[in-house]
This record gives sequence, C-alpha cells and structure tokens, in this order.
Amino acid sequence: MAQLILKNVYKRYDGQKKKMFKKKKKKENDFAVKDVSYECQDGEFIGILGPSGCGKSTTLRMVAGLEKITAGEIYIGDVLINDLQPKDRNIGLAFEDYALYPPLSIYENLAFNMRAKKKKEDEIKKAIEYVAPLMKIDDLLDMKPSALSGGQKQRVNIARAIVRRPGLLLLDEPLSHLDGKMRQQLRQEIKRMHHEIKCTTIIVTHDQMEAMSLADRIVIMKEGEIQQIGTPLEVYDDPANEFVAGFIGEPPMNLMPSVIEKQGDKYMFTFEGSELQVEVPKRYNKVVKDKMKVTLGVRPVDVLIAEEEVSSTPVPVAVYENLGDERRISVRVGEMLLSMTTPEDVYYETGQNVQLVFHEERTHLFDPETGGRIKV
Amino acid sequence: MAQIELENITKQFGDVKALDNVSLTVRDNEFFVLFGPAGAGKTTLLKTIAGAEFPEKGLVKIGGNIVNHVESKDRNVSMVFENYALYPNLSVYDNIASPMRSKLYKKDEDYIKTAVDKVTKMMKINHLLERKPSQLSNGQRQRVALGRCLVRTPNVFLMDEPLAHLDAKLRHFMRGELKEMQTSINSTTIYVTHDYMEAMSLADRIGVLNHGEIVQTGTAQEMYYTPCNEFVARLFGEPEINILEGKKYAREDSVYVKVLDQDVLLYPSEDTIQVLKETDTDDIHIGMRGNDIKFAFEKPGDEWLEGTIYANEPIGNKVIMTVLIGDTKLAVTCPNDTVAELDQKVYVKFNMMNAIYFNGETQKFIIRNNMSRYMAEKREG
Repeated sequence: MAQLILKNVYKRYDGQKKKMFKKKKKKENDFAVKDVSYECQDGEFIGILGPSGCGKSTTLRMVAGLEKITAGEIYIGDVLINDLQPKDRNIGLAFEDYALYPPLSIYENLAFNMRAKKKKEDEIKKAIEYVAPLMKIDDLLDMKPSALSGGQKQRVNIARAIVRRPGLLLLDEPLSHLDGKMRQQLRQEIKRMHHEIKCTTIIVTHDQMEAMSLADRIVIMKEGEIQQIGTPLEVYDDPANEFVAGFIGEPPMNLMPSVIEKQGDKYMFTFEGSELQVEVPKRYNKVVKDKMKVTLGVRPVDVLIAEEEVSSTPVPVAVYENLGDERRISVRVGEMLLSMTTPEDVYYETGQNVQLVFHEERTHLFDPETGGRIKV
Repeated sequence: MAQIELENITKQFGDVKALDNVSLTVRDNEFFVLFGPAGAGKTTLLKTIAGAEFPEKGLVKIGGNIVNHVESKDRNVSMVFENYALYPNLSVYDNIASPMRSKLYKKDEDYIKTAVDKVTKMMKINHLLERKPSQLSNGQRQRVALGRCLVRTPNVFLMDEPLAHLDAKLRHFMRGELKEMQTSINSTTIYVTHDYMEAMSLADRIGVLNHGEIVQTGTAQEMYYTPCNEFVARLFGEPEINILEGKKYAREDSVYVKVLDQDVLLYPSEDTIQVLKETDTDDIHIGMRGNDIKFAFEKPGDEWLEGTIYANEPIGNKVIMTVLIGDTKLAVTCPNDTVAELDQKVYVKFNMMNAIYFNGETQKFIIRNNMSRYMAEKREG
C-alpha cells in the first residue's frame, strides 16, 4: 500500500534532442513528458489516458524505474525513488505482452519471483492460493502457458504482478491484445481484484472506455502534458478543453466551429455554409459577444428535437438510423453532420424539418484558437 | 443494376469449409449487409461474387447470368477494400479518374471530368481534387476510395469493411456520411462488416453469417426484435442481450416460466401463452435486453429482485451495470451518471414488454412478447 507522488516530472530522450533541433522544431516540443505532477492516493486506481505518443507509457516507465527521469521527483510513500533500482521500488508490473515462462506451469510462473527472493514454499503457496481465485485462474495452476488463451495468459500475468503484494501495481495496456468479449470480462475482473486488495494501481490505456470503467480518477495526456485530472464523470461532464471533450465519450461529442450572432436580446450560434441557427444557452450571455468565433461542443445525447416552437431554424433530417438500443438522427451543418441520439422509439423521415435545442447546462464553448474552455 | 443470386455455394480452404452451402438472393438496387464474427466467411462470400474466389460447388448469378466462369474484370463489379489502396503519386482527381482511364473502360476526358465532378460533390471532397493522398485525413482518404468505386456505374458495388480501420470516433461520423449518400448509389450493394451498428444503420436487409453458413436474413428490426436464435440475439445490441435459463410450467389457461434458480416467476403476455404451451420442451430461455431491466438502490416494492453490483462501467453515453443474482449476471443499461460501489445491494425489475423466448435445447426462437403488436407496427412502419 502506498501513495505515489509525481512532482514536475520531465523526460527527454537523448536522441530526440538532436533530431528536434535539426528539424528546428519548437523547443517546448522536445520533451516526451513535460511538467507532469499528480498525486495518487493510497489504494486509488488511476488511469493514464491519451492517444499514442502522448507520453503515458513513458510516465509509467519512469515510475517503474525502466526509464531515467530527466527532471523532477517521484515519491512512493515518502521515499524519493528517483535513484532507486526497479527491484527496490516494491512495484508489480504487467505489460500488454504476457512474457510467461513457457516451460513452467502456471503455479511455477507465479512462484518464480518469490522463489528468487528465497521465500518459504508454504508462504508462496499461501500467496498463490490467495491471488489465483481473484483473477479466476485457480483451475489453470497445473497447466503450461501454451495451453492458455490470450485472456487467460493476461490473467496469469496480472496475478504474477500482484502475488508479492506490491505497494504499487502498474498496468500498461493490459487489455489491448484481447478481443471484445474477453476484454470486457477481464476489465471487470481487474476492477474487482482492485476492489478486493485495494492496491494503489495505475493503468495506461488509449481506450477511453477502459479508463472510464476502471479508474477512480483519470489523467488525460496529450503531447507529454497533462490536460485534465478528474473522476470519470468530471472529465465527461466538465471537460477542461476541446481535446478532452473530443477524446472522452462515445459516440463522440459534436464539435462545430460557429460564429455567435446577436439578434435582439438573444445570441444565436450560426454555422458557415448552413442556415442553421440555434440559441446560445442564456448562462453564456455574459461571456459571448456578437461576431465572436467559438467551437461549440455538445454531446449527441444533449441535442434535443424541440416539440414546441423554439427560436432555432428548422433544418431537414439528413440521416436517420435505428440502432436497436437507440436512434441516431443527424442534420447537415456545412461540411459536418450534427448528431443526436435518443433511447426513445422515435422515427423521423429523411428531409423532414426539425428544430434543435441544446441542453442548457451541458453545452460547452471552446476557444477555437487555443482549444481552451470558455467558462461562465 | 442487377440481382445477385447465390445457389448452394460451397468453398473449401484445405479442410476448412469457409462457405457451406450458402444460398442467398440480393435484390436489384438493394443495400445488403453481410454481418458476422471474424472468420464467419463474410469476405470469402464477397470475393466469390467479385470473382476473386471460385467456389467448388454452387452457382453465382449476376443479373440472371451464371458468372462462375466469368473473370473478375468482366463481371462489372466495383470493390472497396478496408485499406483504401489509393495511388500515392496521383492526385485525388486522378485517383478517382483512374478506373475510367483503364483499358477496359476507356472514356474520354470530358466524360471523366463530368463524372469526377459529380461524385466528388456528392462525397464533399470537391475542394481536395489537387491534393495527394498523403495530404488527406483518414476520413477524406476513405471518401476518395469510395468515390473511386462510385464513379463507375457497375452492376454491383462490393464493400469490404470500408470503415473498419478508422478510429471509433471517425467511424461514427463516416457511417452517417455513408448513410446520407446511400440514396445516390443506384446499384446493388453488398457491404461486409462486423460492427452491428453499421449493419443496422446501413442495411436494407442483413445476412448474418456464422461458420460459413447463413443463419438469418432480414431487416435490422427483425434481427433486433425477432432474432431466429440466441446467437443472432447476442450479436445485436450493447450490452449483449441477457439470456435467462428457465423452466416452463403450464396451467389450464396460463403458463409461467421460473428463472434464476427457480426463484422468480415470469408471466408471458397473453398472445404468447398458446405458442409457449405447445412448445415441446419445458426448457425455456428468456432473452431480455439491458434497457428492459429497471434498477433501484432502495427496494421500491416486493416484486423487485435483490442482487449485488458485480461491475458498474461507463461506456460512453451510458453505464452498463452488471448485477449478480445468485450465479447469474445481468447486464443492465443505466443513465450515464450512475455511481455505485461494487458489491452494494441493488434491486431490479424486468419489463416483459420485449421479452424473447427461445427453446432451451436448440436455442431457437419461439416467440416474443407482444408479437402481434410488434408485427402490426412493422407493417405500418
């Protein structure tokens, strides 16, 4: 059990520096990880989420001790671990690849590290008997890795990481090898395992659904920098910027370039190449002005079709899709489609005019230059 | 413009039967989706129609003509693959014009210009004509590849997972784009996918394939509301449909099914009673979708069942809660802001409105609740 603290951590790869200068790239770009700070509470489950190349794995590898830290400090508990060997950090690690020892049985695979540390056999047995049911591998202990499916191998891999009861468990894309069903099952098991042993855990993933369903808090990264830290609900409801808004949620948020137009005492969203105009939620009245350019962000579930007369321009339905669990209706706005989804069993003819309303509280505005959120 | 008929197609790769006696008719001008899990034989079937694979047995007919021995290029089909296969050294214009410049279809440049203009306007890529593929986004490349396919007027369009390798976000938008321009495709189209939402959204009709066999053909609504067996029921919808194992008890004028370790009685709707009674097995499975199960954290009434939360997972715009009752796990669709602790108590109630009954021995569809109402609605719709 341990708390993990990162203080202004930077990482620059040596080769990278030269290459970057050659290309005369901007100087701030030459860090793989830039000024990353966060605190992970004892027993907390943290997800580091971002697209490939955002520095999420590098961050994890610095915590594990597999990469040198260029600048900054990392603490586990109150111990500064910058110069500590990986083996002395009391960390359990599981990667995307399982790397099990093929000639050894599953039991021996799990026992291997503890035997290396000269633990007593009965102690080892007790430890394995505790973790095997947690990862649902108690029936597999006598088998060889080659007899196992990918999902089972990953279960063993994770069990091996926790069998020594590390202070900190690090998981790097443990599910990305697996296909749909298996992935979903193992996701549930990992969450339940954490609920049981309450070990401080960090998972690195590029899959927002995985981060949302596993983590207590999510650290969202882009180009080496943290964009937002928050609970799944916070990053979904209250995204810090356009990047987070677009990255979290499926189907994705509608993000449309818009120009605000003042009409009488109302402000309207207008869109290039489209007649569509929708009223700006009143709470933004203080921060918007006539001719202001914004990026409008609204999730498909928060776009509604008005049942009574509203101020927005009627527009024809471009696409109606019945997806069984939900219906999706899209209208054409210039080059883009603006989509809404509803679980209600409704039907709209293509070409039929509808009037749109945006959910008052859950319509977001972003600065089109910086991507930053325009708050009230 | 052609009807496609497949009669008893069998295709073998070594010992593996990739297609097993497949018969299928795709109507003229229909948008037909081949849907199924990986390895089901979808792509092999598509290639058989394209003339890239030749079946050991059976007939392939396009527009009434047997084409088994007609070479691919003479079948007048146009195919889009998952990887777009654009010529990197050619501009968007030249890429789209390329099939019309080939020896086979040689057209004059005026004709080509008109055709390219038309299709690029439709695909909304007419501002990109001078660019090279490397200067395009993935979504734009996909549109160029589709445009190149659509610029000809072949008998048949064949599309093999054209959206599969876009990321999830882009796929959502591209599906809409594709659906929108569907009305301007005036040819029979066969579209392969393993994404149920693509299948439901785009298809006039869907053919579900598994292990090289056609399991069911029908509209998206038929697949979702009246799947022919549990396999098909599981393929459509997120979360996967819950299948409750139960025992049937027939009484004089009623019938009920005991599920969840014989603890819970479920009463079928009036119009299903007779059919269920006549079913020659007592082994009944009930299919119940996640959005037909209500949940509450405080027990609202005696008829609610108690369970514990096994998992509670936000998946985008909804939360899938897995509720454990005895040994049975039920997937329940919840609003996006549902927060819950693992292992906490939860109460659920079934809405029988959309319950689907399967024969427990064969996993085949028997009947669904409110079948008559559903059929009436379907006729109107």
